[in-house]
Amino acid sequence: MHLIPQSWPHLHILVSVFPSVGLIFVLGFYVTAFVTNNEVMKRSCLVLFGILGILAIPTYFSGDRSMAVLSQDPKISQDLMNTHFGWGLASLAGLVMTGAAALIELWRFRRVERLSDNALHLVLGLAIVTLGLMVVVGELGWEISHHELQLAPATQKTPQAWSHVHIILNHFPTVGFVFALGFYITALVMNNDVMKRGSLVAFVICAILIVPTYVTGAASMWALTDAAMPGISKAVINAHRDMALLTLFGLAFTGVAAWIELWRFRHLGRYSRRTLYLVLAFAIITLGVMAETGHRGGQINHPEIRVAMDILPTDSKAGWSPAIELLINHVIWFVPWQTVHFFGFSLVFGTALAVSLRVLGFWKSVPFSAVHRLLPLGVFGVVMNVFSGMLILHADSSRYLNEITFVPKIIFFTIGGIAVLYFSVSEGLWKVEAGEDAPMSAKWVAAVVLISWAGVIMGGRLLPYV
Amino acid sequence: MVYGNTAIIFMVIAVVLGVLGLAFVGTYYLNKSVDQSAR
Repeated sequence: MHLIPQSWPHLHILVSVFPSVGLIFVLGFYVTAFVTNNEVMKRSCLVLFGILGILAIPTYFSGDRSMAVLSQDPKISQDLMNTHFGWGLASLAGLVMTGAAALIELWRFRRVERLSDNALHLVLGLAIVTLGLMVVVGELGWEISHHELQLAPATQKTPQAWSHVHIILNHFPTVGFVFALGFYITALVMNNDVMKRGSLVAFVICAILIVPTYVTGAASMWALTDAAMPGISKAVINAHRDMALLTLFGLAFTGVAAWIELWRFRHLGRYSRRTLYLVLAFAIITLGVMAETGHRGGQINHPEIRVAMDILPTDSKAGWSPAIELLINHVIWFVPWQTVHFFGFSLVFGTALAVSLRVLGFWKSVPFSAVHRLLPLGVFGVVMNVFSGMLILHADSSRYLNEITFVPKIIFFTIGGIAVLYFSVSEGLWKVEAGEDAPMSAKWVAAVVLISWAGVIMGGRLLPYV
Repeated sequence: MVYGNTAIIFMVIAVVLGVLGLAFVGTYYLNKSVDQSAR
């Protein structure tokens, strides 16, 4: 294991995802700062834009040196590298301009002690344009060494689209988590409640995103191993899977603790210092596990980052994941966890139904704060289902993942999970007293929540039949 | 490996009771903490 990059391609793989994925998360925080009109949050985002701008320097140099190294490799296309480099220059120029505009505005703020709306909007516009360029650069970059993405779908039992989505998706809960943690620590140091809430929301979103990431990872394993591919080892994949399992648990602990604090804050109007530090502890431990998971994931298909001292596993039966696969295939383990899965859905849908119907206008004699009390039951249901679902998936992942209702099920899960967050962060909805109607925006969210969770249940139930 | 129906039924009851028990204890204490702090 070596976490410190010892080659230019390794450094480039590591550094280059921060500006792109980081930009999405910082933009999310920045838009939240505009919506809540929080000055401290805006300034914190400007600092983050500045840091992203500075990250353009190692990204450029590591990319330039990587080109020199990889041009010796006959499997790497020089044309693809040149196209990636050209778009990369444009996007890094955008990043530098965004960072420079942010830092200039911060410098100006020190003199006049007021942020200029025009400058803030300029930073927002530049960041959005840069993000668009980053999407193109990222896609071109992955094509350089991930040749499996070019395989004809007709020749694949498990489509390579899974690998493609996993390559993109895995950076969101990981890089996003780094930014969320940085933002969270800043919030704790500056004791800013809006920033604390923003970071807690980001932790919960990362925890939700780990589910589709884990699932697409499992599918990618089959896409890479259904037919033997040169250089791809099942044992190396299993080592990555085992750490991914720990990441799933770490993010679940962090996300649930963060969500509980968001829920408690609604009722008490203040944060519990103990829970905030518990979230911090979970987050720091999870980050360590996540770094190792990412490193092991990179070793699967990037021989250029391996060094002589790396001892790669060779036994494809070793590790926790194959052991879980073996165990869960016994009926005495499978049936109980499948039953837990059904109970979990009952809890989730029952809670979502009760809360959503109140928002939609049923039971107006009850204030929204009363039905909000029910939400932890639904969240425990989600936790039960993530855990039992992960076990059930291990029983026959190749079959489940290739069923046509599995993808909609996971998409609905992600949407439904994130939408439920609205119930605990919306100020307008929280103020809905007995006899009052909820805001129209809340009604739309309630409808999305109901449709999503109904979609999850139907997608899951149809798995063995269509 | 072959298991008897009774063993499976007891395993289902044990796992479900354990998991649901944890969920309800968690919910109980969360609500209690909010009630106590709100006073």
